[in-house]
Amino acid sequence: MLDRVVSQSQLLALVDELALSRRIVGPVRRSDRHFYGPVDRADKLDLDFKYCVYSPKAALFPADQTLFEFQTGPDGFQTSPVYDESPLALVGVHPCDINAIRLLDRVFSNTNIDEHYLSRRRQTFIVGIDCPTPCTSGVFCRDMKANEAREGADIMCSPLPPNGVSDDVRYGVVFGTDAGREFVLYSHAGDPPTVDDERASERYISDKARAFPQSIPYDVDALPELLERSYDSLLWEATARRCYSCGSCNLSCPTCYCFNTYDRLEMTLTSGTRQREWDGCQLRSFAVVAGDHNFRAKAAARLRHRIYRKAKWVKEREGVAGCVGCARCDRACTAKISSVEIYNQLAEEV
Amino acid sequence: MKPRIAIFSLTSCEGCSLAILELEDCLLDILGAVEIVNFREGMTERSWDIDIGFVDGAVSTPEDMKEIEHFRECSKVLVAIGACATHGGLNTLKNYQDESDYRKYVYGDQAARFPTIPAQPLSGVVDVDYQLPGCPMVKEEFLEFVKVVLTGRTWHLPEDPVCVECKRNGTLCLYEKGIMCLGPVTRAGCNAICPSYGAKCEGCRGVVHDEALKAAGINLREQYDVDLQDVLADLRMFGAYQEKTLP
Amino acid sequence: MAVLGRQPTDKAKSLYEPEPAEVVSVEKLTDLENVYALQLASGHPLGHLPGQFVQLALLGIGECPISICSSPTRPNTFELCVRRVGEVTEHIHRLREGDTIGVRGPLGNGFDVHELHGKDILIVAGGLGLAPVRSLIQYILDERARFGQFHLLYGARSPGELLFRNDLTLWRERDDVNFHMTVDRPDEQWRGRSGVVTTLFSEVPRLEPGETQVVIVGPPVMFKFVVLEVLARRIHQRNIFCSLERRMKCGVGKCGHCQANNVYVCLEGPVFRYGELKALREAIE
Repeated sequence: MLDRVVSQSQLLALVDELALSRRIVGPVRRSDRHFYGPVDRADKLDLDFKYCVYSPKAALFPADQTLFEFQTGPDGFQTSPVYDESPLALVGVHPCDINAIRLLDRVFSNTNIDEHYLSRRRQTFIVGIDCPTPCTSGVFCRDMKANEAREGADIMCSPLPPNGVSDDVRYGVVFGTDAGREFVLYSHAGDPPTVDDERASERYISDKARAFPQSIPYDVDALPELLERSYDSLLWEATARRCYSCGSCNLSCPTCYCFNTYDRLEMTLTSGTRQREWDGCQLRSFAVVAGDHNFRAKAAARLRHRIYRKAKWVKEREGVAGCVGCARCDRACTAKISSVEIYNQLAEEV
Repeated sequence: MKPRIAIFSLTSCEGCSLAILELEDCLLDILGAVEIVNFREGMTERSWDIDIGFVDGAVSTPEDMKEIEHFRECSKVLVAIGACATHGGLNTLKNYQDESDYRKYVYGDQAARFPTIPAQPLSGVVDVDYQLPGCPMVKEEFLEFVKVVLTGRTWHLPEDPVCVECKRNGTLCLYEKGIMCLGPVTRAGCNAICPSYGAKCEGCRGVVHDEALKAAGINLREQYDVDLQDVLADLRMFGAYQEKTLP
Repeated sequence: MAVLGRQPTDKAKSLYEPEPAEVVSVEKLTDLENVYALQLASGHPLGHLPGQFVQLALLGIGECPISICSSPTRPNTFELCVRRVGEVTEHIHRLREGDTIGVRGPLGNGFDVHELHGKDILIVAGGLGLAPVRSLIQYILDERARFGQFHLLYGARSPGELLFRNDLTLWRERDDVNFHMTVDRPDEQWRGRSGVVTTLFSEVPRLEPGETQVVIVGPPVMFKFVVLEVLARRIHQRNIFCSLERRMKCGVGKCGHCQANNVYVCLEGPVFRYGELKALREAIE
């Protein structure tokens, strides 16, 4: 059931309205590709994008973030935490990335609440845009059950099939949160859905179900058990021979959240900041402990660790899948190591 | 007492020692924390009682040989700055050419007056305590190095490849455009500046670790249809890799 | 998700912010290890359990995880045994009485002392493993009436590497603890036992399988051989505990550095049951 129908120009006007009180981050064209980037006006966005090279994760969990500032002196030290609470709107987020954000929400709020992430997240309004077809070849979001996002966005917009009346793209809007509902209804954007709109929406959903190919020939709910039996597979070593241990798969992954912390000192040497920066389990030094012992010294062990996280452990720990099938890891790998290929190869083994 | 600093140049463009003068914003802070006692690019006085000696340039002439040994003797800590000093740099290109050829086109009919030897990094001749690679040296890394030394810590180069910085910066991977970039095998620390301008990494900071080089050998043979000689030539440009074949 | 409700942020404190603590005393244990007694600047006790750890921070240099080696039954200060192995610990070793250091914690699960109450206890410590388990030893000795028999075995590589020598003397003098120690490589002055720690099992009388809790802390290579001895005494696997050493970084279950298979050592550990540990192949291989 739709809550509202808006045209693309009406959606852009809504974004402009958001821009009155929020920073806007959305798909912009650069180097023949699309990236999530900051804009000050909606018309600088390209809502007809297929996919963005990187996920919008950096807007919520920056690649290099200040955790606190410190000042040291003869009498000890003082610290003060740094939180970014400036309102933000993430526009044009696809279901895979919305599902990834749901995982980050969970990770940073369970057991120990990470205000550095959550203070940003609470101030973030998400305008989701659904995908009628796969955004590019190689994605396996349908297999990962992540090609739709029923929750996570404040409003979710699905491009409806043309109705023959208007050339403008029309979106069926579903409100994901009270904030989303209040925002759209208060601004009087668009129209309530008609019976024809509801029919178009049903057709959209059935067309979409046929448009996404199956890339993994089994239900991914079986993946944890499959991996359970693959710990000693030769595939890890065979595949990892090609691995540069460059971490590109980790760092381009919308669900990877591991980080490293370090202190940045001012030239005065008495003040500075504690920073956290994206880290990755594929990098060689990730599991080094004091005394230089490396718990995962071999690339094969690191590769297995990543795949187990993505397809088994994160789901077991957090209840949300650790992989959304966006295939950014596969595209980022200059050694052409493919996680979907690994999922398939493992299935052939057992 | 402030550490006594010297900056020396061997065969090079001296761009790396000039880069120190370009640290305008922080230069005064640095000068407050250290004492520069010997720096041809920046001052006329000379002292040979040196705590930290920074050297740019490769050992490429008999004169360089003598000088680097002298610098080593006078410096409690010796730091190689820039690709020439850390890996031999562009100077090593001559090592793959016929000596009489390059001597003729570099020095013309005066060649006899300029003796040269195969170019090598400082570490080929003397013990080097720290390396700050790159062509040119990364100014920000130099600053971090100074802070680390001033706080009594040990300097460690980043052990990740350039790809890490491209991803943190949100830079489009050049492989997506079909360009063979050396980022996956090259040591980070430059903030991936070349790829951020769309230019491929040419490995000026040296090979990050042998494992990556080994993977490169396998991938270029098995996954890509490229001429290995071209990649080797790229790897040799800044002296990052001197062997004849990829592992 | 409740935390995503748009309530204002609790800005009081970041998970990652250390609080200042004063170095009350420094004692040199060996060439590599010092023990530091600290007191929080707030005046509050640390409020830890035996087996928990803290992150020690020197701002501008970094942080490192250190297990707490004193018992919460001695709450005025808390003690940390710091081995000089890296940048941060090197700088910690330069601290003197009255200096300030940053502390985050207590972190990790620690030992469930209630589960140990009323039971016979066997503790086997090897090398630096004595430091994390000393908090539990002190606790047992301070609350001695709550426990049955107490057997304590300690092995070090050489006499020079023995930690907490004053404690060792004290423990040997007490008749309510069956304490034995050994070194792998004795020197000429050494009058005590020599050999690996498992040779001390000859000093342990019959153990009541259902009534004995065993704690093993030491290097991974020691672990397997001690478990063999313990299992041979028919001790139940669920009654065997071990503390793991890993490079904890954030200490709060986010950053991923201490993850062994599916376990975040800083959250679910560092104390594990043998049964849990068996599944953590990265931890014991």
